[in-house]
Amino acid sequence: MKPALLAFVAALSLLAACGGDNQRLVGNDEYGDWRQGRARNRPQGATAGIVVFGVDKDREAREAAANGGGSGLSVNAYLWRATLDTLSFMPLASADPFGGTIITDWYSPPSANGERFRAQAYVLGRQLRSDGVRVQVFRQTLDHGQWVDSPVSGSTNSDLEDKVLARARELRSQSASR
Amino acid sequence: MRKILLGTTAVVGAALLAPAVAEAQEAPTVRIGGFFRAYYGNTQQSGRNSTTPSGLANNTSPATGNLQQSIVGGVPTTETNVGGNPGHVGRLSKNDFSTDAEVHVFVNGKTANGLSYGAVIEIAFNQQEGRNIVQQRASTGKTTASIDEMYAFVASPMWGQIRFGDEDGPVGGLMNSGVITNFGTGGIYGDRESFVSRQANVRTTTSPGSLGDNTKIIYLSPQFFGFDFGGSFAFNYNEGEDTGCSTNQSSGWCDSSYAFTGAANFGVAAAGPNMSVRRNEYQGALRWRGSLAGVGLSVTGGYVGSGAAKELSPLNVQRAVFQPLGVWQVGAQASAYGLTVGAQYEHGASNFFWGNLLKGDRPMDQFFAGASYTVGPFTIGGNYLIQTVEGATRTNFGYNAAGVLQATPNPAGAALMRRLGYGIGANYRLAPGLDIVAEYSSYTVAERGRDLDPSNPGVQDRNTAKVFILGTRLAF
Repeated sequence: MKPALLAFVAALSLLAACGGDNQRLVGNDEYGDWRQGRARNRPQGATAGIVVFGVDKDREAREAAANGGGSGLSVNAYLWRATLDTLSFMPLASADPFGGTIITDWYSPPSANGERFRAQAYVLGRQLRSDGVRVQVFRQTLDHGQWVDSPVSGSTNSDLEDKVLARARELRSQSASR
Repeated sequence: MRKILLGTTAVVGAALLAPAVAEAQEAPTVRIGGFFRAYYGNTQQSGRNSTTPSGLANNTSPATGNLQQSIVGGVPTTETNVGGNPGHVGRLSKNDFSTDAEVHVFVNGKTANGLSYGAVIEIAFNQQEGRNIVQQRASTGKTTASIDEMYAFVASPMWGQIRFGDEDGPVGGLMNSGVITNFGTGGIYGDRESFVSRQANVRTTTSPGSLGDNTKIIYLSPQFFGFDFGGSFAFNYNEGEDTGCSTNQSSGWCDSSYAFTGAANFGVAAAGPNMSVRRNEYQGALRWRGSLAGVGLSVTGGYVGSGAAKELSPLNVQRAVFQPLGVWQVGAQASAYGLTVGAQYEHGASNFFWGNLLKGDRPMDQFFAGASYTVGPFTIGGNYLIQTVEGATRTNFGYNAAGVLQATPNPAGAALMRRLGYGIGANYRLAPGLDIVAEYSSYTVAERGRDLDPSNPGVQDRNTAKVFILGTRLAF
């Protein structure tokens, strides 16, 4: 019995490896919970309960939706969206749509070994203006196993700001043509 | 300078190319959830009586059979030996209120490379079925806080999820299909046990959830082409910290004992503390979910197996008295337009409550069917189960005068026990998480020729508990 069961599980694991697009992670709320018989229909898993520590992203999303979608933002929606899009290649550490700040985590581009970057972006107001966004890139290099701060080329910040503005214009023209 | 330029150009280049996968790291959140429920219950139950005080379950008396009413001169008292005056019993009230709550703590986080992790700790307040008085002024109450489930998990879209801790297994609740309990308090697998007394054996049902949340390691696969599977392993039936071996005398309370005196009495776990002979438990389940023509389908097949601790005589003679646990399970359910129907079948070496069978005893068969219908805030449903299982065991295990373990055929044994139950119930959703529930359920245990209620005159070979529940439940 046991060897057959093990072989079965092993075979399925191998099969799982070739799932590709048809593969996904099963959510915690998709497993039965026998105590849930008493707490039925409560959201399970990552959205269960009331947040007592940390940022309640679901609540933020709910409140933003309740405020009529994008109008919940206190900064320009196109600039905000464009900044998010532009910096999305780096892992996001925090994003505050009310203060208009986006801070990424350290990111090391595959083509640049021994270097890593971090970006801070500020969306400055409600107007779609060319000076409505400020991007600051930080750079560190690996020196004898230690990350040390290094200078960034002066044009990098303005290049990224240009990318954001171009993307914002794109988004604006897309929504205007609708 | 050139290097700096190259590097910074790489950043802008990466922004242009914008790789498809960029997982955002998430700082951990801590959430509090749980439930509170309060019910009124009306119970009609065979053998629901006050009798002379019972002996407490211990290593040398079966913890899960009918508790002996009292011992007079070493002889369990029944109607025939209570001073020749049969039926001296007082009825218990049919009416009662029952409250229960749990507080759940959820920790969730995500690393920068997309790995989700977290922990779940469920604090329950139903540690004991009755207040346990240790000394005149020392006791632990019914509502003492205890842990229901606690486990940590790490999950990845690539390889699935690992849970490690006190948690149900894939067959014991996580991945079952066909077990329809989403109405009332759960019908025959609902909260009826809160109102039924232990007398006459009409309380305990073999639900997948009662397989136990003993400490185990669980693997749950990702879903691929509608399929997912899971497996788990546990060394024994116990949970929580420590070995349970609290004295230098090894007993069944001891997690890791492979042989102990009185083991033959603990095929079924003792009520409350996790004392059972189950050892090296493994579970495996395969589930498919999908939809055909708008009908949601789910099918699960699974198996649970385990070994068992041995009986140990005072002369240090060890003897295997149990069969390995081994139950196959298959279930299916379909849902569309608010209607859900399902059925489940189980067969294998087990007694009536996921316990190891004594050697020579017959296997368990159980069929379960259920249906529910949800329209707006209303849900109604019903479920039914029939089980055939070994009754009084075919073999008695005991010690002779010299302390040597002996097996003798049980003359009263070898009868088939039938267990039948059904429940119908409804709930009305007042607000998200807040329900009013009503439910009626009935559960019957029958075994030809065996007196299941020794406190009343005559032979009662058929006992029933009927419970009506009306109450409210709040999930938060």
